[in-house]
Amino acid sequence: MEEEEQQNRPESCENGREDGEAEEQRQQEESVLQFLDSMDGYLTLLDSLSSTLRQGWIDLASARHSMGVSRVTSVLFDLKLHSASTTLHVAEQADSMGEQPHFVLYKWSSSDSGKCGSGEIEIDKRELQQSSSPQLRHRGASPHSELQKEYPAGSTTSPKAYQVQNERFKLLSVFGTLVSPKLHTAQLSFETALGTLVKIANMRSSMLSAFAQVQKQSQATTKMA
Amino acid sequence: MYGFEALTFNIHGGYLEAVVRGHRSSLLTASDYNNLCQCETLDDIKMHLSATEYGPYLQNEPSPLHTTTIVEKCTLKLVDEYKHMLCQATEPLSTFLEYITYGHMIDNVVLIVTGTLHERDVQELLEKCHPLGMFDSIASLAVAQNMRELYRLVLVDTPLAPYFSECITSEDLDDMNIEIMRNTLYKAYLEDFYKFCKKLGGATAEIMTDLLAFEADKRAVNITINSIGTELTRDDRKKLYSNFGLLYPYGHEELAVCEDVDQVRAALEKYPAYQSIFAKLSYGESQMLDKAFYEEEVKRLCLAFEQQFHYGVFFAYMRLREQEIRNLMWISECVAQNQKSRVHDSVVFIF
Repeated sequence: MEEEEQQNRPESCENGREDGEAEEQRQQEESVLQFLDSMDGYLTLLDSLSSTLRQGWIDLASARHSMGVSRVTSVLFDLKLHSASTTLHVAEQADSMGEQPHFVLYKWSSSDSGKCGSGEIEIDKRELQQSSSPQLRHRGASPHSELQKEYPAGSTTSPKAYQVQNERFKLLSVFGTLVSPKLHTAQLSFETALGTLVKIANMRSSMLSAFAQVQKQSQATTKMA
Repeated sequence: MYGFEALTFNIHGGYLEAVVRGHRSSLLTASDYNNLCQCETLDDIKMHLSATEYGPYLQNEPSPLHTTTIVEKCTLKLVDEYKHMLCQATEPLSTFLEYITYGHMIDNVVLIVTGTLHERDVQELLEKCHPLGMFDSIASLAVAQNMRELYRLVLVDTPLAPYFSECITSEDLDDMNIEIMRNTLYKAYLEDFYKFCKKLGGATAEIMTDLLAFEADKRAVNITINSIGTELTRDDRKKLYSNFGLLYPYGHEELAVCEDVDQVRAALEKYPAYQSIFAKLSYGESQMLDKAFYEEEVKRLCLAFEQQFHYGVFFAYMRLREQEIRNLMWISECVAQNQKSRVHDSVVFIF
């Protein structure tokens, strides 16, 4: 009986070691996959930003063509002191991969109060909730569908949407109160691009964090070997 | 008396009509535009334009070129041609030629007033003014605080003075009031120009009233579309429409209550002249509306040259040249942004 137990002990130790190695390898593979996933998301967002900006610039040129060069010009920008309608906040966020900076955009804060007011919209709040636990990103989402998701047609009935629309018109009033719809389209494109930039910053932050994790695990594996 | 212009027109207007017809023949053709649309850089555009009458104006510009430089130099050519015609003209042609520039004068006044409201430097604003709309005391516009001062200090001695009677208030100048002022001034100018052309009579009255009516209708449609979703009330919107044109008065009644582009289409499709414009567009689309209106305008302006012994050719030439400059601006922007696939979105061929 005792001999059987003594025979089983080295086998169970060896099985335990093999299980540990398998678990480690699985974790390493998961980290690598996490890194590749975040890099894929980063590159997709870069491509989306490029196409959104191209659309914005051509829409702006189209607005200048329609309204005239004297109506859409940089000399009409308002130099009076006023609070920003959009602010960017940076916070340190701790997760399983360590501390990493997280960027949140607050759009259309009330310009009268001078601070983030009732009109603010956090576009990255859902991402903050999602990124608290590392998850594989769902592939296959089109970059342009983000624009449609954020600004679905006919969404101007709620008071918040109405206030946002008013803020948008107020910003464009530097060019006059009766502006071409093309200028509104350009504004929307640049607004989307700004949101994409913040997403890129967050994605880059998680990509670097995932890379650091992969490196750490790789070094640990090398030492054990 | 209509039909007898051939007897007397050439005494005072013959030379200048010949000059303007010569200028018309130098407008860019479709093959010029095809060459320009294939350019890869702005320097290529400059090279192609050097073979045209714009050559002398662009040849000394250093690389790298900017799209605004191309537009400024092409505009200078138009200004030189205009000033040559103006200094050779006698009454009433000289007054007619001056009327053509009042629209630019209004744009310059609004630019200076808006820029001053935004605390911009006056010199910076003057550089952006259209050269055809400059007048002596334009820099003094920066000191006015409201429309009454604007009129009393500066505009009372300018040709725009008669148009201010409906604008004079003591309200401070803000973005909405400035916009209303712009459109009210332009409305008064168009109506005055229309009356002047009718008084001239003959072929000038027949051709110019048609061209100005189209201009008034185009402005009404643009004001309607641009004011959708803004604070401008229906009554205020209706006050900005001119009191002449094909759409006056019943079309204006319908346009005043439109809330989207499809309602504008429904209002205009009742008029055969504008039905063809909207036939080119799909429902809900407004992006190509500008191009459709420009194409119709160019067609009418070209037809003005089919008849002789009238002043409409001068107006038509100035507008065709401005359209050409808009085309060059659009082509330059598409080339500069590497988006040549979008070139044909807004280019309107003249010939």
